[in-house]
Order: sequence, then C-alpha cells, then structure tokens
Amino acid sequence: MSETGVSMAEPGVLRLAGVLDYRSGPALRKQGKALVEASKEPRLILDCSAVDKSSSVGLSLLLAFIRDGQATGKVCEVRGMPEDMREIAEVYDLDEVLAS
Amino acid sequence: MSVDSAYAVELKGVSFKRGSRSIFSNVDIRIPRGKVTGIMGPSGCGKTTLLRLMGAQLRPSGGEVWVAGQNLPTLSRSDLFDARKQMGVLFQSGALFTDLDVFENVAFPLRVHTQLSEEMIRDIVLMKLQAVGLRGAIDLMPDELSGGMKRRVALARAIALDPQILMYDEPFVGQDPIAMGVLVRLIRLLNDALGITSIVVSHDLAETASIADYIYVVGDGQVLGQGTPDELMGSDNPRIRQFMKGDPDGPVPFHFPAPDYRADLLGAR
Repeated sequence: MSETGVSMAEPGVLRLAGVLDYRSGPALRKQGKALVEASKEPRLILDCSAVDKSSSVGLSLLLAFIRDGQATGKVCEVRGMPEDMREIAEVYDLDEVLAS
Repeated sequence: MSVDSAYAVELKGVSFKRGSRSIFSNVDIRIPRGKVTGIMGPSGCGKTTLLRLMGAQLRPSGGEVWVAGQNLPTLSRSDLFDARKQMGVLFQSGALFTDLDVFENVAFPLRVHTQLSEEMIRDIVLMKLQAVGLRGAIDLMPDELSGGMKRRVALARAIALDPQILMYDEPFVGQDPIAMGVLVRLIRLLNDALGITSIVVSHDLAETASIADYIYVVGDGQVLGQGTPDELMGSDNPRIRQFMKGDPDGPVPFHFPAPDYRADLLGAR
C-alpha cells in the first residue's frame, strides 16, 4: 500500500498515490493545485501508477488537475492508471476525456 | 463477520415485530459480496422491511445485522451515520426533492457527507448523470421528468457516494418496458463495473430473475427458499413453485386472515 498523497515526483510529473476517496480528496485537491500552479514545465503528466484504490473522487481529481494545467497552458497527460480505476472511468465515459 | 467476509450483509436470527404482530421470525440471510441478490416474495410479505433492517432504518426485535464487519443494531448514532455512507438506497418512489433541480438532487449527499469543493461536486454529479444517461437533464426539475427518468436520477443520487452496497426497493414498479430494460442494464453494469453489492427487493419475477445471481424468496415471516434463479424455477417446494410460476392458488393463501365471511356480512345469530 502506498501512502496517500500527491507530489511532484519530478519536474512536470504529478504523482498520485494511495487511496483517492471522499476522505482524502479535499486535501489532495488543494495540494495538487498548488503543485501544478507552481510548476514551470510546459507539460503535466498525471502519474497514477501508485494509486491503490480510487472512487469517483480520484477521477474528479484528475479532471481538476487537467483543468489547472490547461489554465496555465500546459499539455496534460494521464499515465499508469490502474485497471480498476480505468474500469470506473469507462462506466462514466471518461476514458476518452482523460486520454485527450 | 469480518470486513473481508464473502458476504456484504448477514442477517443472523433476525426477528421483527410491529406491535404484537410478528413480521419476521428468526430469519437468516447472507448477501454475497459483489453479486446481485434478489429478495422476492408477494406484496406485503415484508421485503421492504427486510431492506430497512439491513439499512438500520429499523431495529430488529432480535438477532444480528452485520454489514462490513459491524453489527448495526449495536452501533451508536454517529457510527451508524458513518456506516450508512457505504450504503445507497433507491427508494420505490424515487424520493427526489421536488423543490431541487436534478443537479442539486444528485449533489445533496455529497454536500451532506463530504467536504469536497464545489468544482469536484460538479464533476461527480456530471459523472453520475452521464452513467444513467441524463447529464442533459441537469437543470430540469423533478416534475419535468418522466417516471423512468426520475428513477434514473434517484439511481445517480444513490451512487453519488460510491456505495459498496446498493439497495433497490421495487425498482421496476410502474416502469414502461423501455425504462425497465434501461434499469435492468444499469443495475447489472453498476454492480459489475463498480464492484458494488446489489440487493434488489422486488416482486417482478422476470426482471429480477434476469439480473440476480442469487435469490431469496420470503413469505409468512420467514425465508421460504433460496438459490440461483434456475434452481428456484426447478424447486419442488410448493410455496416457491407457486410464487415462481405466479399461481393464485397454493400454500400461500390468496386471502389475508379474516373472520368468517358469513358472520362478517350477516352478523352472528
């Protein structure tokens, strides 16, 4: 199990880890927004490979970070989404939205 | 029952009375995790009461109700409030707030139970409405929706908090064939894709049998039988056979217990 959190693993790579749910969501949103806005990189990669479990909140976090990145002109990309998170994204027809 | 039990809900020796009238007596029911389980039986047999016992809206007069490793009747009010976050209920009536639009109806549990920001609430409401095909109805009021649409909005609200257990109370009642087909497909999809445990209380045999992995048939205050839809269809038990085949005559009486008819009409002489 990874410790729940969000961090800039390397320049331009925002790493989400642990359990993304209604409890962790509000704090992760604030921390991630600050990290994205502080980044000077022209691209933003949202790395989900360390996510252990995600509810709809995890998908909403990805959408919110993409909006943050786009607001500062970054090219955004989601990587390493675990299979169960990808399945939830499909139920909500988000697979194409998050791939763009 | 541990959190990792193969069963999401377990009723052990549950009894329930209304006044002096016994509704259930020493009932054992185990709901398999991640499956669709139907609870079936004739109208008025107490199916909805069972659902309310599982959701701790009612307190049993005896026995245990285990959900996710907790015996609900023993929980404090605040622990029960937390336990209910993992349960979604689709009420028979839909129970939408008539003075709130579709968006606010679905957002309601998110506002009550979470500290999410407004932008995340909007994302999640849009996702849930997309799943039930009604994102385009986000600004409509409940009285502008058809019966089938109301039921789907209620379903979007029921899954707003990503419940582990989703309870459906007579989801097919009053639905036209198209709306019924949409609901059947949605119940199965949400169960399988989101890993939800679904409990469908219904007397609609064909629809429930078409999606349920396992069925309990209740009546006369007890569990009359259980099994897969195929097993129940082939049951030798006359009570189960009567219900599964829809026969008016059989062990389950057509008449509710009543005084002598002649005496009722003509009076005792």
